[in-house]
Amino acid sequence: MSGTAGQNVLKVAREICPATTRSLLSEWALLLDVRESHQVEVFAFDVPEILLVPMSELEQRWSEVPRGREAIVVCDVGVRSLKATYYLQYHGYTQVSSIGGGIVKWARKGFPVNGQQPPASVSAAGCCSSASENATASAESCCG
Amino acid sequence: MDIKVLGTGCANCKATIALIDQVAKANGVAVTLGKVEELRDIMGYGVMSTPGVVVDGKVVHAGGVPSRDKVEQWLAVAG
Repeated sequence: MSGTAGQNVLKVAREICPATTRSLLSEWALLLDVRESHQVEVFAFDVPEILLVPMSELEQRWSEVPRGREAIVVCDVGVRSLKATYYLQYHGYTQVSSIGGGIVKWARKGFPVNGQQPPASVSAAGCCSSASENATASAESCCG
Repeated sequence: MDIKVLGTGCANCKATIALIDQVAKANGVAVTLGKVEELRDIMGYGVMSTPGVVVDGKVVHAGGVPSRDKVEQWLAVAG
């Protein structure tokens, strides 16, 4: 790997709750699900529009995320999505946020899903790579 | 020479720091070795896979413990 650019100072990522997410989706935001395809196959958001870019492909496919439209990133519990949010910020996206608690919290709040939450999702902190464990959330997190 | 290891403290991150330190001492190269552990700071380098290594402000490695040869190359370039 030859040297690449140095550090960008990123803003603290915005984390939002499922209720805020639903409200934003009804306006103009786009949901970006970064879970792997085998996870999406068994348990998915039931929303009119969603962009699926698995975390394992995000480095190659991040440019598919439209600019000029708020992207709301989601994973199982909100760890990978926070990392993805920062990654998009690194690439210059300013309208991007992460669902704290992920699809697990979305479903728990009674919002529409297809399929069943697999038991493994509950402990889906394993959904993340090591870079996410010290994730810090923004004070904008809403429903606890 | 300023070297930063990006990672949240996993075993591979610790191994990477130890390896760089060991190779630098073995070759008599003076390095300032630091850690970047906060997700936001790590992602500020655009590194998705950790450990990452930054030498004098440039990302030279991401994902897994680097080989000893690779570390020696970084130090030789700066030496």
